[in-house]
Amino acid sequence: MDVNQEKLKTELLTVNMGPQHPATHGVLRVEIKTDSEIVAEAIPHIGYLHRCKEKHSESLDYRGVIPYVDRMDYLAAMNMELGYCLTIEKMLGTEVPKRATYIRMVCAELQRIASHLMFFGTYAIDLGAFSPFLYAFQKREEILRLFEEFSGARLLYNYIWIGGVWNDITDKHIERILKFCDELSEELKKYDTLVSQNRIFIERTANVGLISQTLCYEYGLTGPLLRGSGIKWDLRKNRPYCFYDKMEFEIPVGLGEKGTLGDCYDRYSVRMREMIESIKIIRQCLQGIEAGPVMGKVAKVLKVPAGEIYFRTECPRGELGYHLISDGSKKPYRLKVKSSCFTHVSVLPELAPGQMIADLVATIGSIDIVLGEVDR
Amino acid sequence: MSSQHNHATVSHELSLGQYFDNIKTAVITTFKGMMITLKYVYGVRPVTIEYPEVKEELPEISRSRLYNDAENCISCLQCASACPVDCIYISANRRATDAPALKTKDGTAIKLDLTMYTIDTALCCYCGLCTTVCPTSCLTHTTDYEYASYTVDQMKYDYLAPEVRAWRTRIVKD
Repeated sequence: MDVNQEKLKTELLTVNMGPQHPATHGVLRVEIKTDSEIVAEAIPHIGYLHRCKEKHSESLDYRGVIPYVDRMDYLAAMNMELGYCLTIEKMLGTEVPKRATYIRMVCAELQRIASHLMFFGTYAIDLGAFSPFLYAFQKREEILRLFEEFSGARLLYNYIWIGGVWNDITDKHIERILKFCDELSEELKKYDTLVSQNRIFIERTANVGLISQTLCYEYGLTGPLLRGSGIKWDLRKNRPYCFYDKMEFEIPVGLGEKGTLGDCYDRYSVRMREMIESIKIIRQCLQGIEAGPVMGKVAKVLKVPAGEIYFRTECPRGELGYHLISDGSKKPYRLKVKSSCFTHVSVLPELAPGQMIADLVATIGSIDIVLGEVDR
Repeated sequence: MSSQHNHATVSHELSLGQYFDNIKTAVITTFKGMMITLKYVYGVRPVTIEYPEVKEELPEISRSRLYNDAENCISCLQCASACPVDCIYISANRRATDAPALKTKDGTAIKLDLTMYTIDTALCCYCGLCTTVCPTSCLTHTTDYEYASYTVDQMKYDYLAPEVRAWRTRIVKD
């Protein structure tokens, strides 16, 4: 044992990062023990946004749960609704009209783009660049405007219903979505020059917050985190739902292009490339869309047959699973939500030790958590 | 808890040439980004609006302030039971048999006298479930979004009160 080193050891300083911290995207408190600038330990404390969603849904009818489901991941409400409705429909055995399924997929993919744009903007802010945020929000606003015209709300839509979707979309909307896709493809090239190729951004993210493949498996990480570490796993491809099996798209995986495989840059680049794939899916959906009803036959008083189901979908932040137990009544007996963000927060204590505080901010940003989904 | 695999320590020393090379690429790539920003100085239409002077026209379908047209309401309580946050309070009395027969706009007979129809807008989550179940479509989401108030009590709208009913001409589009 080196005695001198032991003597030189200084006392660790405990600092609370959060609950109100711009880098935590919500109310996450990370208790960090620092040795000067180096983080020795980081413990995430959650629960500030806990709204008893799971318990509360036991006292609501199946349709009334949807507005609450929206409020879990408020940046990807469409995907949350889609997962929930697919779960209930699978239990009911409802057949969803083709047009409705296509509209759902378009909405889910648009929402994925909106969510990733939000990530892009806020991640740049975390790392000290402000203007990309404004570019990203300009595009995101167009998506929100479209959703507002579909559903009437900008963030918490209650648009995807059990059996279909609330309103039909018009041909004008389809034209606008296609125009938006063209514009976004151009815009993404701009983002590439603006941020992805920026030397300062690369230096801040490459080789930072490495997640090895073993760590991915150990913690059960999903979504862009898993793909950023080079594991090709996407539920849309591997366990297709809706019409994703008919679609042609790639699963972007981290390549370790600027640093090591599984670093912050890889997770960033996976999300940026995912947007391109989403555009592809939207284009294919709008080609395949056909006239018809948007709402299937669902009983007015919804009673789900007794039983149990676990259904998962791919959300912008990872896998979202619903575990529903029904006793055959009008209300769910138990609705457990498996959230990817919760899993992703749990990996933070593994990533933090040895990092600079500024790098910890970059790591939390690259994990891209929404606390509404963590706490539910 | 091993953390060796988490951070690749950059152990090699930078040479002077590499040091300046890094600075050079940083300046060049930042400059490229700045050129994109520079393009926005002229020729790009502003996307923001100056709110109190310029007001945004919301889509017709937009879900804002709730309005119940009490004259067409048949007190069926469907909105109250559909509401996930239970913010709609309704009470009604049976209409006297000798009272003149009333009908809604679409011809449904009104058999109950509405004595209270109050919505606590502060609780409302604007999900729109109540408007979709309304059989006479008297309960609607309007596109009026300017209704901030100083106290929570003011958010409780009594749709039978004359001052609240006076909104109708302003916010409901027939």
